Amino acid sequence: MLVPVIGIEVHVELKSKSKVFSSSLNDFNAPINTNISLIDLAYPGTLPKMNKEVVDMALKAALTLNCKINKKMHFDRKNYFYPDLPKGYQITQADTPIGYDGYLEIDVDETKKRIEIERIHIEEDTCKSIHVGNETLLNYNRAGVPLIEIVTKPVITSSKEAILYLEALRENLLYLGISDVKIEEGSMRCEANVSLKEESSSVLGTKVEIKNIGSITNVGIGIEYEIERQKKLLQNGEKVTEETRRFCDKTNTTILMRVKETGNDYRYFPEPDMAYIELTDEEISDTLKSLPILPNQLRNKYKQKGINSNNINTIISNKEICDFFESIFDLTNQVMSANILTSEVLSYINKNKISLNETLLTKENFIKLIELLEKNVITTKHCKEIIPIMLEKGTNVEEIIKDLNIEVITDDNFVLDIINKVINENPNSVKDYKEGKDRAVKYLMGQVMKESKGKINPKDAMDKLISNLNNI
Amino acid sequence: MTDYLSLNIEEINELLKQKKIKPLDLVNEAFAKIEKSNTCAFITLNKEEAIRKAKELENKEVDNVLFGIPIAIKDNISTKNLRTTCASLMLDNYIPLYDATVIEKINEKNMIIIGKTNMDEFAMGSTGETSYYGSPKNPFDNEMVSGGSSSGSAISVAERIVPFALGTDTGGSIRQPSSFCGIVGLKPTYGRVSRYGLVAFASSLDQIGPMTKNVKENALLLNVISGYDKNDQISSKEIVKDYTKYLNTDISNLKVAIPTYYLNEKIDKTVKNKVLEIADLLKKNGVTVDIIDIPYLEYAIPLYQVIALGEASSNLARFDGIKYGYKAKDYTSTEDFIRKTRSEGFGREVKRRIMIGSFVLSGENAKIYYNKALTLRKEMTNSFKKVFEKYDLIIGPTNTDVAYKLGTKQDDALKSFYDDLLTIPVNMAGLPAMSLPVGLKNNLPIGLQIIGNYFKEETIYQLASFIEKELNLKIDPRGDKSC
Repeated sequence: MLVPVIGIEVHVELKSKSKVFSSSLNDFNAPINTNISLIDLAYPGTLPKMNKEVVDMALKAALTLNCKINKKMHFDRKNYFYPDLPKGYQITQADTPIGYDGYLEIDVDETKKRIEIERIHIEEDTCKSIHVGNETLLNYNRAGVPLIEIVTKPVITSSKEAILYLEALRENLLYLGISDVKIEEGSMRCEANVSLKEESSSVLGTKVEIKNIGSITNVGIGIEYEIERQKKLLQNGEKVTEETRRFCDKTNTTILMRVKETGNDYRYFPEPDMAYIELTDEEISDTLKSLPILPNQLRNKYKQKGINSNNINTIISNKEICDFFESIFDLTNQVMSANILTSEVLSYINKNKISLNETLLTKENFIKLIELLEKNVITTKHCKEIIPIMLEKGTNVEEIIKDLNIEVITDDNFVLDIINKVINENPNSVKDYKEGKDRAVKYLMGQVMKESKGKINPKDAMDKLISNLNNI
Repeated sequence: MTDYLSLNIEEINELLKQKKIKPLDLVNEAFAKIEKSNTCAFITLNKEEAIRKAKELENKEVDNVLFGIPIAIKDNISTKNLRTTCASLMLDNYIPLYDATVIEKINEKNMIIIGKTNMDEFAMGSTGETSYYGSPKNPFDNEMVSGGSSSGSAISVAERIVPFALGTDTGGSIRQPSSFCGIVGLKPTYGRVSRYGLVAFASSLDQIGPMTKNVKENALLLNVISGYDKNDQISSKEIVKDYTKYLNTDISNLKVAIPTYYLNEKIDKTVKNKVLEIADLLKKNGVTVDIIDIPYLEYAIPLYQVIALGEASSNLARFDGIKYGYKAKDYTSTEDFIRKTRSEGFGREVKRRIMIGSFVLSGENAKIYYNKALTLRKEMTNSFKKVFEKYDLIIGPTNTDVAYKLGTKQDDALKSFYDDLLTIPVNMAGLPAMSLPVGLKNNLPIGLQIIGNYFKEETIYQLASFIEKELNLKIDPRGDKSC
């Protein structure tokens, strides 16, 4: 049986303040050709200047991916001609990647699997080419933007694993705070190498590289397509050729870009314009200690507090919400906070297409809201009305409650009067309940809430209703 | 025509201080001398700006010995607003937007740049003949080569057009023309002087250095241009000494080695005898002089061809016509544009070297040639280090012979490298070395090479100042060549 063998290469733009070898601002989105310098334009006589912040960021990534660290590393030149390459070579790390032999753990159907990382290295980005008619225009804002390239060993066996790996990788890099990791904007770029082999054999098949994939979902689709395409070829007795294919998101297929010639000749050699970089054990252990709390650690912490796994995943995949949650974590009821953040708060920011930081939500106001919920002063139902005002206007939650005329009556007699009235008016439903029809209690509860005009606590009322029904 | 620029720097400085002359007099003299000269030493003159600056300095205090002194700059060193061609059609229209670090340093001293000097194209050559702007000529005999690649810098100092010039040395490009033109030229320790703004030929070998008519002035200029530069991360943080302090100090404790390789059969007899004469002079004055074997020196030229040309093939890749410099006119595609720009913009020797360099880095060749060369380079460096455990200096000839006729070696790819037989090992090891004029043969200057330990330029100056004083030569191509 043929089984797929997949390796993944990811390029990630680091969000250092300045570029990797010059002091130009690292902001590709600035007006075209404004964040440029003589070094970025490869003016004759200029030399690269190492940005230490980039090394620190890459070290964080390497440690997070459990890599061994090259304590003495240098850069190499990768030589080729292309209009988007100002120097005629790219400065990269061929021989001494900052990290090697690491892994990232993922959960595949409740089992843990280690995706082995072959290497992670630092390099510079090229210009951005823009094709207008017959002309090629170049935006040098991107020339010299720092990148890390993360390469797995060929250990991924399905599109599902590939997606899980990429999601976990993205999450970790996001939580390290070293990149925006936005695939749509190009700050994370994925390439997959796919080949097929006989399950019993250790010999790998001819690999095909898929480029230009615009989302993690499409990585999965591209891999699936490629597996099927290669299977068909082999089953028809044809050969798979070593080639690079482009993912097309209109047809969900891969399209031939170029057939690999016998090995690209990049004429690598050590970059003579840069000194070796040495990392001390102290530096490495300090960086390790300074790593922020990472997604898997957060998962465990939230699980222990009894937060359900859906909410945990929602929080972690929305870093801003997670950051907010962390900032109030020890000051509030975590389960209730998680419920409100993943429902009303998230739906408000999604609906309005803004980020949490753009709203007027404050920690104090949110903590107060949860406190009032806990005390039954308000119900979760009220939050639908309260949250949008809190986020939009920043109004104090107690004022909002007053303005909306929200009132929760906690007087037991008031609640019991309503319950008795509903029981008396609906003998058939009571009978149904006694006969074990669960539906009946929901109907009765609905009547209770309607009668109370939503001003009583539903959970409390439910308890009282059931107790009264059982006493009949 | 005045001849202030033949005077010693202290004398010129005194005249300036006493306001007997003005910087403008020196500038005018330099340009008048250039006008009269037919050695093709300059590519671009900085006349307007030099005169403006000279006038501006009239109102300033003469605060240092280099104040108001004309200097010539090799045309591969970036000068803001002053065309920097590398003697190539590729950069014929290139006007830099920035000053090299060494230029900032000489500007701080208020020196006046007279112009950019002729050289081999992209510093690739030993005669100046690969220049796009015509062959420079030896001031002692215009039929002869000046040496190269820092040809115009050596000529302009020899002809007393300027007291100071900056050259660059990748395999001998300061020392060899200094030797052929009878001046003092020093290649500093690799990393002593910032390379920021030097258009790279072979990054791991290139070094900027001072070229002057005597030892003291050489030390003065090195004082100014040395030091760590944050823009060149390879530049050294080793402290900069006042190199003039070591001139004419006692040399009797010095231990000097002469490598047997520097006395081999390829070296002309007269030149060899001159070196041995100097050795005798030193011995008489208490210096220990031993003839010793230094292994690996004989590999210098193949090493150079692999390492220097490999690096050059990459360094020159940026000249694609897109950002600056020459642009091909008729083309069918971007690829065609780059190919035509480079085919038309570079000269023959440069293209030859780019091809050899690309070849040695290509695929499996990298292992066969480049990596092996790096290993051998380390061995050569180590054998030098061993010598310096016992000796302070190494001496020998700068060249196998004196200057030869123009047009004799240009088309022999291998022969042209043999000029650098004795200078390349120094670049490979990153050591400092000087060429000092020590005599004439057939009326052409002979250079003595003095090689020092890392960051020990002062010891070179110490010995050179002694020899200069003892020999008391007046080597001047304009006459008075008593020897």
